Parts: sequence; C-alpha cells; structure tokens
Amino acid sequence: MYLILSSIFFPILAGMFLLIRYRTPLSGEKNADRKALTTLTGSFLIVTAALVVASLLTVEEGFTLFYLTKTLPIYFRIDSIGTIFSLLAVIVLLCAGFFSFEYMKHEERESRYYGFYLLIFGVLNALCFAGNLITFYLFFELLTLSSMPLVLHSGSREAVMAGLKYLFYSLCGAYAALFGIYFLYRNCDSLTFTAEGALRASAVTEHGGFLMVVAFVMLLGFGVKAGMFPMHAWLPTAHPVAPAPASAVLSAVIVKAGVLAIIRVLGMFGTDFLRGTWVQTTWIVLTLITVFMGSLLAYREPVLKKRLAYSTVSQLSYILFGLAMMNGSSYTGALCHVLAHGFVKAVLFLCAGAIIYRTGKTRVEEMRGIGKEMPLTMWCFTIASLGLIGIPPTGGFVSKWYLAVGSLESGIPVFDVLGPVILLVSALLTAGYLLPLTIHGFFPGADYDYNMLQKKEPCKWMTVPVLILTILSVIIGLFPDIVINLIRMAVTG
Amino acid sequence: MPFVCNFPFFSILLSLFSGTVCSMLPAKAAKVVNRTVILAVGLMSSVLLVYLLSTGEAFIYWMGHFPAPWGNEIRAGVLEAGMALFFCIIMYLSMAGGAHKLPGEVVESKHNLYYILVNLLLSSLLALVYTNDMFTAYVFVEINTISACGLIMIRQVGRTIEAAVRYMIMSLLGSGLLLFGLCIMYDLTGHLLMSNIKESVGLLMANGEYQIPLIVSVALMCIGLCIKSALFPFHAWLPDAYGYSTVSSAAILSSLVSKGYIFLLIKIIYRVIGFDIFNSTRIIDVLFVFGLMGMIFGSISAIKENDIRRMIAFSSVAQIGYIYMGFGMGTQAGMVASIFHILSHAATKSLLFIAAIGLTDVSGGSRKFFDLTGAAYRNKWAGAAFTVGSLSMVGIPLFSGFISKLLFAQAAVQVEGKMLASLIVLGISTVLNAVYFMKTVIRIYTSAPDAPYKGITFRDMKAYAVALVFFILLNVILGVSSQPIVDMIGQGLAMFA
Amino acid sequence: MGPNLLANYGEAVSAVLFCIGFTNLLLQTNLIKKIIGLNIMDSAIYLFLAEKGYIAGRVAPIVVNGVTSTEAYINPIPSGLVLTGIVVSVSVTALMLSLTIRLYLRYHTLDLDEISTQLKKEGK
Repeated sequence: MYLILSSIFFPILAGMFLLIRYRTPLSGEKNADRKALTTLTGSFLIVTAALVVASLLTVEEGFTLFYLTKTLPIYFRIDSIGTIFSLLAVIVLLCAGFFSFEYMKHEERESRYYGFYLLIFGVLNALCFAGNLITFYLFFELLTLSSMPLVLHSGSREAVMAGLKYLFYSLCGAYAALFGIYFLYRNCDSLTFTAEGALRASAVTEHGGFLMVVAFVMLLGFGVKAGMFPMHAWLPTAHPVAPAPASAVLSAVIVKAGVLAIIRVLGMFGTDFLRGTWVQTTWIVLTLITVFMGSLLAYREPVLKKRLAYSTVSQLSYILFGLAMMNGSSYTGALCHVLAHGFVKAVLFLCAGAIIYRTGKTRVEEMRGIGKEMPLTMWCFTIASLGLIGIPPTGGFVSKWYLAVGSLESGIPVFDVLGPVILLVSALLTAGYLLPLTIHGFFPGADYDYNMLQKKEPCKWMTVPVLILTILSVIIGLFPDIVINLIRMAVTG
Repeated sequence: MPFVCNFPFFSILLSLFSGTVCSMLPAKAAKVVNRTVILAVGLMSSVLLVYLLSTGEAFIYWMGHFPAPWGNEIRAGVLEAGMALFFCIIMYLSMAGGAHKLPGEVVESKHNLYYILVNLLLSSLLALVYTNDMFTAYVFVEINTISACGLIMIRQVGRTIEAAVRYMIMSLLGSGLLLFGLCIMYDLTGHLLMSNIKESVGLLMANGEYQIPLIVSVALMCIGLCIKSALFPFHAWLPDAYGYSTVSSAAILSSLVSKGYIFLLIKIIYRVIGFDIFNSTRIIDVLFVFGLMGMIFGSISAIKENDIRRMIAFSSVAQIGYIYMGFGMGTQAGMVASIFHILSHAATKSLLFIAAIGLTDVSGGSRKFFDLTGAAYRNKWAGAAFTVGSLSMVGIPLFSGFISKLLFAQAAVQVEGKMLASLIVLGISTVLNAVYFMKTVIRIYTSAPDAPYKGITFRDMKAYAVALVFFILLNVILGVSSQPIVDMIGQGLAMFA
Repeated sequence: MGPNLLANYGEAVSAVLFCIGFTNLLLQTNLIKKIIGLNIMDSAIYLFLAEKGYIAGRVAPIVVNGVTSTEAYINPIPSGLVLTGIVVSVSVTALMLSLTIRLYLRYHTLDLDEISTQLKKEGK
C-alpha cells in the first residue's frame, strides 16, 4: 500500500516542490542554477522509477484510499494490464526525462517544465494502478490538466491555441465518458475493474439496447484521448508544439491512457456483450478510417514533428483495431503494439528533437544529408522507422503479425480480410513517409556539398536515452516470448 | 427546553443589535465587532448543529408567549443550523479576504456603515434560514434586499449606483410577487405559520378545493424568489452588481444573498406547500427549463465577456441554473444535489471573486482579459486560488464542483423524462465552463515579458493569503469528504417534513 | 365566474392595480415613474389584504363600550400585516428615492436607459 501510494504521491509532491521552489523566470531569462535543478529532477525521476518498479514487484492486495461518496471509493490495485502500461510509462519517462536535461538548454522556463513532468509521472502511475472506474476518471482528468502546460510551454499564440484545443477535446471526451460512468454505476454492482463484464444480468435483458449506446459513447469519449476519428484533430496540433521530449511523452505514453481506458471500459461491459453488435462494427470502421487517414495525412505533411504526430494517430488506431476485433490474438497484438509503438515513437520524437536541437531544422526537405552529420541519431531513427513499418526483427512486426492473425481468425464478415489489407496499405504509407528521411539523410545525392559537412552528433545525455529505447524496441522483436508471455498473463488474468 | 435552543434567536438578535452598536463606533472597533459577531454566530450555529445531530429532531421556538397558530415561531433543524454555520464561514472569509480593498474603495467615514450593512445582512439571512413564519420571511427578504443594495452602492461610482437601482427594481418586483402570493396563500388557508399552512394546503388538496388560486399563489411565490435569486432570464441586474461593487460585497452577494432566497424557496416547497404537492404542479417543469437555459446562456455570456469580474458574475447565472435544474427534477435526490450545489457554489464563487481581485490588483487595476497576462506570477496565491476555483467550477474530481455534478447526474439518471436533457445540458455547460475558466487560467499563467506591474509577496497580504488558503481548503473538503455533508442534507430534509 | 367576480370586486380591482404597478415598475424608464409604480403595486396588495380582512358589519378590533365578544370585531391580523407592509414599502421607497437623487446629481437625468448609455460612454 505504501509503495503504491508513494510511487503516486512522491513525484506529485516533488513536482509541486519544484514549481514552488523555483520562481518561474520571465521569458528571456534562464534558471540561474540549472545544474542543481537538473540534478534534483534527475534524482526525483530515478527515485520515482525505483518506487514504481518496487511496487510492481511486490504482490499486493488492492486497497481503498478514501471514499469520495459512500459508494464511490478511491481504490488502487495493480493488475497485469496496469503493469504493462506502467512499465512503458516508466521507461519512456525516464529516457525522455534525461534527454530533456540537454534539450531544455535552449528552451525557457525549465523549472516549470520539470515540475509538470514529475506531476505527469505521478498521475500516470496512479492511472495505471487505479482499481476502479471512478479513480481512473479522476486521474484521467488530472492527466489532461497536468500535461497541458507541456503543450503550452512556449507560450506562443500557436501553443496557447493548441493547448485550448487539446483541453476542449479532452474535456468533451472525458465528459462523454463520465456520462457513461453514471449509467454503469446504475447498472453494475461495483465499478471495480474486471475483464469479464460487470453489468447485472437483469440490466442487460431490460435495457441492453440503451447500454449499447452508452458503451459506444464511452468508447468515443475515451477514444478522443487516443486520437480516434472523428475526434483526432487535436493530436496533430497539440503534440508538435510541445518541446521534443514532451512530444515524445505525449505521443508515446499519454495517449496510451486513452487505450488503457478503452481496455478498462471493454472489460466493464464484457466482450460477450459487445461482440457482433453494431457497436463493434462501427468501432472497427472508425479505427480503419483512422488508420488509413492518419497515414495519408502523415505522408503529405512536410514538418517532421507534425508528420510523426499524424503517424501517432494512425498507429494508435492499430491498437484500437486490435481491441475492437475482440479475440485473443488481436488483443495480444494490440497490447504488444502498445509497447512497440511506445518505444518507437519515443525514439522518433527524440531524434527529431535532437535534430532540432543541433541544426534547428524542422522540415523534412531540409534534412538532406542529416545522416552524415548525425549518424548515430539517424541510425536509431532508421531502426525505429523499420519498427513502425513492421519489418522484422523489430517489435512492430510481432504486434502487426498478431493483429493480422487475430483479424483473420475473428470471422467477422468483410472486416476479417479488409482489416489486414488496410493495415498493409497503411504500413506501405508508413514506409513512404518515414524512409525518405533515412534515404535522403544517408544518401544526399551527387550535388551534396561534402565540404560543408560538420559532425553534429549530440552529447551522450541525448544519444544514450535514444539508444536504450531503440534497443528495447528491437528486443521486443527479437525475443517476443517475454512480452507475449506477459501479455498472455494479462489476457488470461 | 435546553439552553441551546435559544441560539437561533440569540444569533439573529446579536447580529441585529451589533449592527446598531456599530453605527456609534469608529471604523476599527466596528470591524472588530463585526468579525466577533460573525464568529460568535458561527460558533453558536455549530453548537446547535451538534446538538441537533445528537437529538435527531428539529425543534420549534416560540417568539413571545403565544402558541401556534397565533404566535411567531422560529424553527431549527439540521439543515437550518448547517446553513447558518456555512453562511458564517463564507461571510467571515469573504470579509477577511476583501478587507484590504475597503480603504481604497469606500470613503473612510463610511467604514462603520459598511459593517452595519454586513451585520444587518447576516441577521436577515439568519432570519430567512430560521423563521417559521411567512410574513416574517417577507419582512426579512426586504431587509436583506435593502442591506444588499447598500453593500453594492457603498462603493460610490456611477456603475454601482446604477447597478444598485437595477438590483432594487428587480428585487422589488420579486418581493412584490412574493408578497402577493403570500397574501393569497394567507387568504386561502388563514394561517401565516408554515406548519399550519401546510396542514390546510393538504386539506384543500384532498378536498379538491381552490386548486387554481393555490397554484397561482405558489407560482407567484416561486417566480418572486426566482427573480430575486437571478434565475435566467431575470439576471440582467447581476453582472453590474457583482462586477463593480467592492470585492467583499461581490463575494457575499453572489455566494450568500441569492442562496438565502433559494433556501427560503426550499423551505416553502417543503414546509409550506409540501414536496409532493409541489411536484405534482407544472411549476417544476418551468423551473427545470429555465434552469437548463440559464446553464447554457449564462456560460455563453461569460465566454463573450472581456472583464474578468463580470465573467465570474455571469458564471453565477449558469450555476444558479444548476440549482433550479435540481429543483425541477422533482425528486429527493435532485433536491439534495441542489442543496449541495448551494454550498459548493458559494464556496467556489466567493473564492473566485476574492482571487480575481488579487489578480487585477497586480495588473494595474485593470480587469480586462488581456491585461491579466502573467498575473498569476505576480501574485502567486491569487493565481493558485483562481486555478482551484476554476477547476472546481469545471468539475474536476477532488474539488467540490465535481461532487455536485456527480449528484446532479445521479439524480438525473433516476428521472425518466428529464434524464437526457439534463445530462446533455450538464455536459455542454461543463465544456462551456471549461472554455472560459481555463482560458483565463492559461492567460494568467502566460508570462508577459514587458508587463510594467510589480509583483506582490506573501508579506504584503497575509490576511488575504490566509483567507484564500481557507477557501481552498473548504473547496477540497467539500470535494473529498462530501458524504457526511450529503448525509446531513438528507437528514435535514427529512426533518423538514 | 361572473357572480364570483362581482362578489369579490375589491380583490379584482387590487389584482388589476397590482398588474398596473408591476408593469410600471418593470417597463418605465423614468425612475420617478418606476417608484410610483412600486407604490401602486404595494398599495394594491394592502388593498387586497384589507379587503380580505374586512367582514361586513363588524368594527376594528379596539374594545369600546366593553364589548368583548369576538363576533363584534374583524380579524386584526390582516390589518397588522398591512401596517408592517406599509413600513417596509416606505423604507424601500425612501431608499429608491435617495438612489434616484444620487443618479440625478451625477448624470442630470432620470432616464435609466440614458444613464446606462452614459456609463457605457465613460467606459468604466
């Protein structure tokens, strides 16, 4: 109990401490004692990570912190799905955090950034460890609020508008979800998470049709966070305006909160309740549209970070598609893709950040020859790209394999074949929008002036986190058994 | 009858007489008297609350030596005592938080007058809460109006006088309707005491006599109190009155005065007409519709507003809409939600007003939206408090606003016909709230490099910061441990019957 | 309807007067006319109360000539209410008039709409 609580509240308190301790400098100034600040943040991050790992390793019963109202406890419990998400969060947040220490040198208002970064860490832990829907909702809202300052970080008009858009979409989604929670609360014995469905049998027979609508509204509502069509527009606006490490966290981890939410909701309703209904069909259609559209938009986008954000939209819907097929293989594939995409997307955004930091280039066509200037970064970028496309031996291949198999096994007419086809087309598009960077980066062409070439490889604070994440993404592909077993455990409970 | 039972009477009398005493005292002494009285009344109310919770029964206290149905009575139950306690807390904090603005906005020689008005307001609020007699209620409604009007215009600028006149006019329309409804009720039943009226109304309804005059009378009283508590579309006076008066006044007016009238309406519903009879009329549907409209149009007006204090004032219109929506559901759960929202809105709105003044003070006194850029860095306490208030208004869990929304939604789910309408409007209004409150929060936390204004530190505003901290605590307590309070409300409503 | 109205013509008149006063208070832009409307409205209610409290053939409840039977007097409570109400309405009227004077001294007009326009021009 104390481990879980401390892994939630330690980073939150530490973040608040940073926010209060360091006066936020006005724009144009820098934090004077940078070194102390980064050391402090770094140690906070490590302690938090240690706490999380410790609480994951100790087997614990769930416990109730306090009662919001008589029947609504704030309840924490660690289960295997939470473990997977929590592992992802810890690794990505640690790596991106250390990456920030170097990257944030050229940004302002560092203390505020680190403060909220730690807050997000705590809230994410709480989200993974939440044991019932109301606790989850609480931290879901807090996650939106604590991640908004990262989007707003630069304080420019563009950032403020993006922040407002992010907030507006998220709150709309969260309210739609809350709307569903009211009804679940009426029709379930308790809001504690299960995987088998918690609806009362009488409720299903009496107003099953209405509960379908509720389920659909909740899926759409939480789907906003996961960037599902038609509520995806905030994501490509909000993610790129944040500082690069923050974009990495947003794209790799925070949007996964939406995925986690949908897994939880699916568990509450039970897959048996939804399988073969219009809800499932519509959901599959929406995810497929998102997969295709996201890739297409990414293909047309010239700014690298925006291109990556569009790619997030597309890739997240791979996961949602896997969940929507509602069978064992597709579910495994979805969870596997949560990890694979998390690592890969973090690498891609961090590489983009490193490029911006060293060269200031943001548009794809400016990046000719970048591979010659920053070979290590670009190698990582390339491997990650392969992972996102789904070429063995990377993690992306494993997850997409399972997704395709699950889809074919599902036996849903039309979509069992159409799904894999669209996934394949989207993978080709992914190759189309990521590989040109590598190609032009390493082979700038005959007219490239090699005399201008400078080595611009960033320092080890930036390269090491990127390397670690890249290696992890490959490990998933090389030794899929580890991950798959963990996921099997989660699937069977 | 134990001595505690004298406390309601004592607290009304104490605040009334201390007002008179204040008129002869210098400003400083008047301030001390005022604070002491509020504290004393709060203390008495809390003792009374504890006593009532332990006995579990409401009691009736004769004013003078005549028994019902001739005499005048005071009645105290859990809800009354709790409301009185809560009003005292909010009033004390509002006075403490706004005290530093008083010298700048009110002429020095009129300070003691200000404290008289506050004491008078407190006594009339207490009387509204405790009285068991309809005509007494009317008289104190008028006293309340007069003192509230005084609180608006004590800051002598053109806007406040105009606002006071507009406030007076709307209030008088409202109290005229209330009085007329009350006279018809008296005419029909022959009684002025609430309990006696209720008996007669029950008989009339059972015999099927005088149905139409009865409904007319109820409707008149309802509309009267709706106008006075600024239910949409009767809210035109509100933004100026709350927006330009001195800050303590604005906080007290928005969080207490309108709530006093709403509480009187609840008493009328339960103790005069009877909850079931009231719900069988069409009046609740009307209240429901106007409540919903208020929730949306209030928020839209707030979004369009460029002046932060007027924006907060418009948000009151929306919040009052919530309360009436709860009435309109016509269930016990809806009523509990409304009463909880009275508490939560009072705690939040006074916090917002007090915090907003801190922000405008460090922005050269301008309350225009864009001038507030970066104000939260110049006054950290006010910035944090404003953020908490905004989050509570938007309905983020852990703060009081979430619990009231939760209660409203739970109540709505039980009412078949009104479920969808209320949930959808609740959702729209939540999002609209988020738009203007979060926009402001982002604005005050956007740093402005070339702002010429100086920041302010804790040492310059101890009392102010402490008041803010207490306000924040109050919000969090309402948000985190709401269950005892909800139970108490339920118990109090049960005592009403 | 007809006979009822005839029997209760006093109440009907008071209701009409109430409406007249109410409309004046609401719709007039001139502050003095508003205050007159307020007084008409209040008086209408007092008329209503007095009308309801009066029983034909009885006298005001002041004991004269030692008659103590309740049959001889009217109900004193409505009269009491009217008296209280008059006190209230006088004080409210006084407050309104004083506010009106303040506004007139500042803006030299009694028209509330015009005052609002002037305030908007001041832009405060």
